[in-house]
Amino acid sequence: MDMSLVLNSLRDPAGVPFYPIVFQALYILTWALHIAFVLLTLGGMVVSIVGHMKKNIDDNWKLLESHMIQVSKISVSMLIVLGVAPLLFTQVIYDPNWYVTNTLSGLWVVGFIYILLAGYSLLYWFYYANKSNSSMAGFAGILSLAALIFAGVLMHSFAYESIQVDQWMNWYAPKGIVDNSGTNLHIDVVRLAFMVSLSAPVVGIFLLNYADYFSKREDYTAKYIGFVRSLGKKIALGGLLVSAVLFVLWTFTLGMAFHPLVIAIVLSVLLLLAMVAKGSNSYVITLVLVVAALLISTLREVIRMNIMSKYGYTIYDYPMNIDWPTVVMFLSTFVGVGFTAVGFLLTLAWRAGRTKGVYTADATVTKLADSTVSITILWVVIFLGWGIIAVFKNFL
Amino acid sequence: MEYIGLYPLFYFPQIGSAWLMGITGAIHIMASHTSVGAALLFAFLAHKAYKEDRPELYDYMRKYGMFLLIFSYVVGSITGPGIWNTATVASPRGISALIHNFVWVWATEWVFFIVEVIGVFVLVYTIGKIDRKTHLKITYMFALASVSTLFLIIGIISFMMWPGSDVWYQTGSASDAFFGINTFPHMFIRIGFMIVMSAVAGFVIASNLKEMPLRMELTRKLSVIGLIGGFLILMSFLWYVQTLPQSALDLFHTVLWPLNGTSRIITVSIIAAYLLLAFALPRLITLPFATVMLVVVLVLGIWPGEKMRESMRKPYVAGRYVYSNQIIGRDVIGKNIKSEMAIIAEKGLLTVSPFIPERLRTITPENQLEAGKLIAKLACSNCHALEKGAAYRPLPDRFPGQDAATIEIVLNEVIATGVRSYIPPIKLPEHETKALAAWLATQN
Repeated sequence: MDMSLVLNSLRDPAGVPFYPIVFQALYILTWALHIAFVLLTLGGMVVSIVGHMKKNIDDNWKLLESHMIQVSKISVSMLIVLGVAPLLFTQVIYDPNWYVTNTLSGLWVVGFIYILLAGYSLLYWFYYANKSNSSMAGFAGILSLAALIFAGVLMHSFAYESIQVDQWMNWYAPKGIVDNSGTNLHIDVVRLAFMVSLSAPVVGIFLLNYADYFSKREDYTAKYIGFVRSLGKKIALGGLLVSAVLFVLWTFTLGMAFHPLVIAIVLSVLLLLAMVAKGSNSYVITLVLVVAALLISTLREVIRMNIMSKYGYTIYDYPMNIDWPTVVMFLSTFVGVGFTAVGFLLTLAWRAGRTKGVYTADATVTKLADSTVSITILWVVIFLGWGIIAVFKNFL
Repeated sequence: MEYIGLYPLFYFPQIGSAWLMGITGAIHIMASHTSVGAALLFAFLAHKAYKEDRPELYDYMRKYGMFLLIFSYVVGSITGPGIWNTATVASPRGISALIHNFVWVWATEWVFFIVEVIGVFVLVYTIGKIDRKTHLKITYMFALASVSTLFLIIGIISFMMWPGSDVWYQTGSASDAFFGINTFPHMFIRIGFMIVMSAVAGFVIASNLKEMPLRMELTRKLSVIGLIGGFLILMSFLWYVQTLPQSALDLFHTVLWPLNGTSRIITVSIIAAYLLLAFALPRLITLPFATVMLVVVLVLGIWPGEKMRESMRKPYVAGRYVYSNQIIGRDVIGKNIKSEMAIIAEKGLLTVSPFIPERLRTITPENQLEAGKLIAKLACSNCHALEKGAAYRPLPDRFPGQDAATIEIVLNEVIATGVRSYIPPIKLPEHETKALAAWLATQN
């Protein structure tokens, strides 16, 4: 079977509504954001469960555990909502890969949703059971973590299968017999182990941020802050070393060990190690971590592009039908509503979290709040106005 | 060799793959509708609490918010992308058509999702921890963001039914597709249902309040809100029906309403009676009763309605150009899309589909039944289960006791010609029609 012909036939005949490179850039950016929260969730869950086991012998763990359950809970919501975007953009430019994988592993793709649902529901059970000191809390936490890890393994499998183009027909019709059961599940152990291992440095660095953030609150003792900072440093250092080894191993299996991007990632990991060991400002460390995440996301995309180019598939020649009205709608919403509203909410949460008692909004937060509400009202008016004009134009 | 873009096929025995999509979709609609309705209710309550200085309402909002976090933001946020997953599995080209037409609309909706998700956590967890005026602004923003997600998705779902005119097929503009003839009536039906859901979910939280006067007051207010939502649904539904394509109206009048009309009238009556009871005798709305009724309203209110809407869309899955069996059925000049009907009729599905084992591309007496089964899966399994007596639309049961020659006549005279408006016209070359008929004759 001529896979180049097949891949290009599978492309959606409607074409893409903007330059493919823009979707590719958005994919890289949003996947990095998504994976950051995936890793924070997994790492946060492990810290919570360990904390749950140790909370009766150490009060520091008791407080940290309850906070990390909250962090994991919010983080799952964030990973889900941030995961929507890369899922969307990959379907635009790599639709052949994504849809073939989804049909080959259909049962798992549907199962993924319910496994994730179970994992998140169990996390809430963990939260409430822990709050009421139920003996089932630890059990719920472990079950939740297991379900979330399994969901992660499934998503890894879909990503891996989507680039195994030469295996698709063998998986769909082994020995010429068509199998419509959608039960395919194939993984790359080293790649998966590397990705999962990143949860340690992510949660370690998060704990350093946490310590710096709450060090300004007078109701948090220096002893507790010191405990969290020391724990974060240990986890981050150990995690970075393990991740670095697995990363190098993975790149060797790909034959890309000396690719410039790989070298850049290794250098960023070394920089992170040095900064954590030295005790640099944790917020600056986080910025370097974000850069490393973007580089890893870019590397994934380079791997996919290299594989696909062997089959004569490049996203850059995807037929285009630019749809300017919706492009403008997205960009103006992203910048106008998105930046203002998220800026407002995060600024408010940051300041309220640092205040003991009730926080009263200052002039900046008030201005942000008013701007957010006004811009969103304006958005609704413009959107509905556009709709009414379109309907009048086409139907009256 | 020329291929059309048909993907490998996933088939779920007994119920068919499309039903998986229906189940996940219905669960998502339950959660998301409650979520948007509750966001509007939050803004109303916060406004009241602030203007009338009613601190007890904040306690109610906190409890409602925790319920919302679990019910809507766990279930709703996961099953949202879950619809994509299951739709992809069942109808990859259908979802692809929507993605490639509306990617920027979905991306815009995603911006509002982010605002909504961060917003709901900030809204719930800052009650009592920030000044009330700022909190009120969060509830306004949250309500606007939530309802905007509805505005954005509704045009896509409405386009699945049809754009309503020939304009989009000529221009290919997402604006002409998105703002179709039934977008606005559809939007008002959904808003109405969201308002009803916010009231019905609100009863559950109100019934758990210890302070009796507050409980009575909230239950009464919620019932009025619910009745307004219900009235909006009824009026919008009458408008919506006027905007449907003729094939959907035919199906609605001849099959769906005669089959489901009575049960729909009973459902509406039950919900209306419940809301009126809550107004007249709020004391009777206890926690167990309210919880049971929440489930009843969700199940009776959503599943039959969504099933009816999905059925009326047949034989298409998107924009009246992608058939439910994934074949493109008409040209879309504005997007340079060509119908695939002619090439399939000439060369056959087993020739133009990429994912076919080489040994089945040529039909022989030895592989005829196997080829026929594969053709049935490709052409029919999106709507029909292939097992005799299966739960949902079993295909063999459509040809009871018929031999291959008779089935072949039906396939040529009825199915290939498209005389049944809700079945895609499946015109195949003679050898494939014979193989399909031969296999069906062994199954009935």
